[in-house]
Amino acid sequence: MEMRYRPVSGCITIIAATLILLTGKPAQAERFELGATPAEADAVVGCLYPMTGRSATYGRDSIVGIQIALDDLAAEAATGLPAPKLRIIADDPRSKASYAVRLAQDFITNDKVRFFCGIVSSGVAHAVSDLALREKIIMVGTDHASSRLSIEAGHEYYFRVTNDSWTSMAAGARYLRDLQKETGWRKLAFIGPDYDYGHVSWSDLQLALNELGVEYESVGELWPKLYEPDYSIYINALQSAKADIVVTALWGGDFIAFIKQAATTRFFETTRLANFDTGANYDVMMALGDQPYPGLILSARHHNNWPDTGRNKRFVTQFHEMTGRYPTYAAEGAYTGIMAIARAIEKAGSADDDRALIKALEGLQLALPEDPPGFASYIDPDTHQIVQAQAVGTVVHNEDFPPSKLMVGNWAIYDAEDLKPSKKMVKLRRDAVAGGSEAVPPPTP
Amino acid sequence: MTSLLAVLIDGSIYASWLFLVAAGLTVIYGVMRILNMAHGSFYAIGAYSAASLVGWYFNNGVGPAWISYLLLVGAALVAGLIVGVIVERGLLRLMYGRDEILMVIITYALLLILEDTMKIVWGVSPYFAYQPYSELGRTSLGLLKVSNYDLALVGVSALLGLGLWAWLERTNQGKVLRAMIHDREISVAMGVNVRLMFTITFVLGTTLGALAGALTAPAISVVPGIGIEVIVLAFAVVVIGGLGSIGGAAVGALLVGLSRAAAVHYAPEFELFVIYGVMSLVLAFRPEGLFGRTLARKI
Repeated sequence: MEMRYRPVSGCITIIAATLILLTGKPAQAERFELGATPAEADAVVGCLYPMTGRSATYGRDSIVGIQIALDDLAAEAATGLPAPKLRIIADDPRSKASYAVRLAQDFITNDKVRFFCGIVSSGVAHAVSDLALREKIIMVGTDHASSRLSIEAGHEYYFRVTNDSWTSMAAGARYLRDLQKETGWRKLAFIGPDYDYGHVSWSDLQLALNELGVEYESVGELWPKLYEPDYSIYINALQSAKADIVVTALWGGDFIAFIKQAATTRFFETTRLANFDTGANYDVMMALGDQPYPGLILSARHHNNWPDTGRNKRFVTQFHEMTGRYPTYAAEGAYTGIMAIARAIEKAGSADDDRALIKALEGLQLALPEDPPGFASYIDPDTHQIVQAQAVGTVVHNEDFPPSKLMVGNWAIYDAEDLKPSKKMVKLRRDAVAGGSEAVPPPTP
Repeated sequence: MTSLLAVLIDGSIYASWLFLVAAGLTVIYGVMRILNMAHGSFYAIGAYSAASLVGWYFNNGVGPAWISYLLLVGAALVAGLIVGVIVERGLLRLMYGRDEILMVIITYALLLILEDTMKIVWGVSPYFAYQPYSELGRTSLGLLKVSNYDLALVGVSALLGLGLWAWLERTNQGKVLRAMIHDREISVAMGVNVRLMFTITFVLGTTLGALAGALTAPAISVVPGIGIEVIVLAFAVVVIGGLGSIGGAAVGALLVGLSRAAAVHYAPEFELFVIYGVMSLVLAFRPEGLFGRTLARKI
């Protein structure tokens, strides 16, 4: 077949495509450098946060949280307090473990970092945590939440400073126990993303319910892939299972998509939907519009409207003044990470001695925006996981944080000490991985 | 029993969606012998166009809900036509006659370019256009409440399949296309305007892809990457059915749809496995797919 070559239309296409690319915003990763110059820095911290893609909001909010922490440290230094000067380098791991490890390795080689911080994905965090142990770099995790990282895979160089899946599910289990007394619910189903965080969340919830002696019937567990755009088949399956309560570990856009799609069905007429770890994040509140779907039970790692303390109000207001918007929980997580590193350096006297820094971090107390009155978060010396209180509630009208018209209210507050995994539980889980004589008993509803 | 009914209904709905996506892909391959990797992007462009237009329509309270269904279809037709013509005239026409593998690489490159272009145009936040979905309400089928929109999607899919079959089997244009599929060189010798037929076929394929995206948009969250996910599933469907076969795509979609629904209801941990398990099983016994034909190679 003879085909004549027509270069004109091809050229037009290429020119048009080039123009679109040139006039649009570049969708490329960006490296951020904040804080002290290399010459004056007491320590360099390499952070990994998503700057592009669907989780970019969390990365952007984390950078602002870091800036607030640096401002607080600078203000302390100005008054003569021994606040260290930190240099922060942040880059985008693009949700890929291999790429994150390469960036982290570059942080060590080129930037001479003493600490890693950040990381949203638990899977990526696992890989960087392994590198941290090999290279003897202290890692302060802020956003990922799989409890496996601090329990089964925990090591001396790994610390985490936001609620993990165990903390959130322990709070959730208590809420469900109290709700059962009120409503007599029996049937429970779970839907979570099909990766480490989702599976660990379900396992943590079952273990926490069993510890409390809550009697329930598990009527289904569903594992859509991360970033699944269509939940209709899962919603139908949950409705067929006639669950009284569905607990979910879907987060961010996935959780919003699930709610929006469930709202087109009769799901909320018959079933309560609980998300104890990420559900009350500010991006979810905004996406709900003015629809407080009945039966939503939510919590998150930080709330803009709880606790009602000066420290929390100041943090939220400061974020709003810097950006013109309200923060997702990622901001407070990143703030906490930098403050923990700074306090550890202060306590250790310098950033030079690994042993002194680890000792300083173990048991370190931090007064944080999310701490209720009379309590300061602290890092558990055994698991290296921060110990914090958690508030769970339902959706109420609240226009104090526009553009969101809804926030979580009707709080049930759970004490930090109650949410810590017991020493026995930690030992059982670690022994099970190590092939010890004891193993974690299988969850028996 | 309820569970089995749920599997049949969910499976049929999923199959109809898969068929909508796979139909355009298989038409393009059948006529043009191009394994069009960029088909997923046409699906995504259709979904984004429809979600944007419908979102704008409802956010501005412009008029009655039924107009949103016209907007869905209109967005798909316009997007499919424009993108189809640009890609066929501006890119593929320069490449006709090249090796099939090269065409796969070219369309894969196009897929990547279009994915990033969509991020530039629509950003990375999810788009929701759920109103057309919820407006239609639900119907009781036994103990199950099924969305009327989903049932309508099954109907649209069946009509589309019949329409494609009728077009290929009962119209002169269809006969010409089948002649081209059978022997392109003889068709040229007989005076068939192959270039025009290629344009028509490709634009039809892209429009079908965009239509699938637009009709799916009210039921999903429209996010970056949906095109890539779709193309993998669509390939599984057309490979099971036999590349280039409309009937094969329908059967492949049903097999995949029912298998996935059964997995979600009875063994959720095997959900992804069953799709590719079915494909592997079919290819093990019929490498050309269920309805594919083994063609003698011309020397």
